[in-house]
Amino acid sequence: MLWLCIQFPKLPLEVLTRAQRDSTQQTAQAVVEEQLIVDANRNAAGRGVETGLTIATACALCADLQLLQRDTQREAQQLQQLAQWGYSFTPVVSPQAAGSIDAGDSRFACLYLELSGCLKASGGLQPLLQQLRRELHQMRISAFMGLGHSPSAAHMLSQLPEHRQWLREAETPPTTQQWRQWISFSPSKLLDCDNKTIAKLYACGIKRVSQLLAIPLSEVGSRFGRGFVDYLARLNGGRHDPVPSYTPPPEFHSELFFPSPLDNSEQLLFPAGRLVRELCQQLQRRQFYCQQLRWKLDFGQRGCKVFSVETARPLLDPQRLIALTRLQLEKLTLEQPIQALTLTCDRLLPMDQGNLDDDLFGKDTQLQRSHQLLDKLKARLGHEALSGVTLKESYLPEQAWASADTLVLQSGHQKRGHQLQPLNAPRPTWLLPRPDRIQSRDHRLFYRGEIQLLQGPERIDGYWWQHGRHGRDYYIARGEQGGLYWVFQDLTSEDWFLHGVYA
Amino acid sequence: MSNAENLLQNKMLSEESRQQRLGRLLARPDIWQAANEHKRRRSGVPTGHAALDALLTGRGWPRGATTELLVNQSGVGELSLLLPALAEMTRREQMVVLVNPPFIPYAPALASAGVQLEKLLILHPRGQKDALWAVEQSLQSGCCGALLSWQCGRPPADKDLRRLQLAAREGDCSHFHFRPTSVADAPSPASLRLSLGSDGEQLAVKLLKQLGGRSGQQLHLARSPDLTRRDQPLH
Repeated sequence: MLWLCIQFPKLPLEVLTRAQRDSTQQTAQAVVEEQLIVDANRNAAGRGVETGLTIATACALCADLQLLQRDTQREAQQLQQLAQWGYSFTPVVSPQAAGSIDAGDSRFACLYLELSGCLKASGGLQPLLQQLRRELHQMRISAFMGLGHSPSAAHMLSQLPEHRQWLREAETPPTTQQWRQWISFSPSKLLDCDNKTIAKLYACGIKRVSQLLAIPLSEVGSRFGRGFVDYLARLNGGRHDPVPSYTPPPEFHSELFFPSPLDNSEQLLFPAGRLVRELCQQLQRRQFYCQQLRWKLDFGQRGCKVFSVETARPLLDPQRLIALTRLQLEKLTLEQPIQALTLTCDRLLPMDQGNLDDDLFGKDTQLQRSHQLLDKLKARLGHEALSGVTLKESYLPEQAWASADTLVLQSGHQKRGHQLQPLNAPRPTWLLPRPDRIQSRDHRLFYRGEIQLLQGPERIDGYWWQHGRHGRDYYIARGEQGGLYWVFQDLTSEDWFLHGVYA
Repeated sequence: MSNAENLLQNKMLSEESRQQRLGRLLARPDIWQAANEHKRRRSGVPTGHAALDALLTGRGWPRGATTELLVNQSGVGELSLLLPALAEMTRREQMVVLVNPPFIPYAPALASAGVQLEKLLILHPRGQKDALWAVEQSLQSGCCGALLSWQCGRPPADKDLRRLQLAAREGDCSHFHFRPTSVADAPSPASLRLSLGSDGEQLAVKLLKQLGGRSGQQLHLARSPDLTRRDQPLH
């Protein structure tokens, strides 16, 4: 095993200032966390601002110091990107986040790469290291490296100046003998343990790791604890040194380029089908599913057009996905010829047994068919054309219902905890979107002819505690042609309104 | 095998295939046979009104076919006529789709009629073309128990109505199509046509057309007594 440890000492600062132009005439900048300086740029460091100072001291040293708040989230994101970058060299990558300053842990963020498998492909150790350094420099990220037979050893050696010097001219990976020498040669302050243990080591007169290794292990264990002995074993290669492995985030991205641009959406069906089949193959292999396909039609210089296809349930059947895409494509009118077609799925979700409703013989169930219907309707008519209704608790009749998302349809069989009960009073089956004013003359009401009140009043008085009081007397009325209506008289204005129809 | 024998066998075979073809033809739902009448009983969806069930050939709303309901003015009880059947369908986990309803379907009233609101889907397609497409797709899908559609804009062409009737048969879905009474004289492929009106107190139902059954009967259905009860005037 050959582990490379790349440490990023200036990541907190570089994450925030990477976009700036590199120049020596920069203002002095420093990153702050919890009132302490975490990192400072060259200009500030030249004037004595260093890690661990309080803000007051730093400002006293350098009056025009620009303070930047540390952004650990952005750092973690950047580390993930670096891990993805490392993944392009070797499949075994492990990122490790920086320690936080308030815990007294001043470890830098670092990345472990296992290199033994990729030396041949990159043309040897030196070209590989050079390429890594060059690309890091292009990304404007400063780093130092160490090579070891285990991640712990690589981490320690990366801090040893002699080792770094050797690494700069290294042609071949070192032998086990050399590693042992370096490790025993290193000062004990480079050991990856807390300050208390290091102070204890120095108090015992142990200045180099070689002195520590000369003491019998049982002695070391009784003085410094089992964890320390374990660490030494990992450092020496006597014990496995596991690090969490990095897996790239699941997503799908594929593009088809057309040498002669297409100007007809019909022609897009074939390439779209090819992309969907590729996606489905990959999904099946990795046991993922996706709920949204994002299509991008690239018009070259003249911009692009994006649309998305959504499915309610996991769908692995390419034919159905193509059919849904086709519905969207039919709606499109192309103003410009298309140069490339891209399919992206950002979120691939792991497949569970529960959410796959294909049975072994591929027969459609009732539920599955309704999902397919909903997907189809959504694709052609759009989200806003579909709706459902639910009950809502309210005094006011127009607020006793709510437009529900169509997704409610799916969860129909699983009853939720609180079930609303409808009011036990005759309510109209149709409600008008807004109450319709009706004519009244000499105590007679007219709506498509004269109407007569049959029942009432039922007083509904809502929001009397607010300015917009809704005081109403509801009646059931019959029209001249026998229709039954739900009408009310507003108590404040004494106007009559039609609010519902007993259809 | 002699020639005559061969000929005889061929004749029998062709006889058999002819029988089969005839059987297939007679099994079509739109061919009415007096002899088959007893088999076709009780194939419909119970309407929830015994008097209406008695008039209909399937003893209920026809399944897998279009029913036209001709109403001029909302409020005579046209939706309440369907509600018992719709409630029964939603209880059986079948979807009920409403395409272009003229007003907001009021959830408290539907829930108290027993309709499971989770199974209700309301569609508002933009144009007539999209509306016809949505109706056809929903009818064909086989997961809808009933589909209610309201005619908006100009009346659909005869061939569209025929397509919807076929789609309903394919998906075994009851299609209720609300249209104005002005189209009563125009021919329609629907297997049942009812004209709904009011005689002042009650809902008046008139059978205009019924496939495989009689038509022309009139029926008066009382509306819910909760609605028509007359209170003593207060003043």
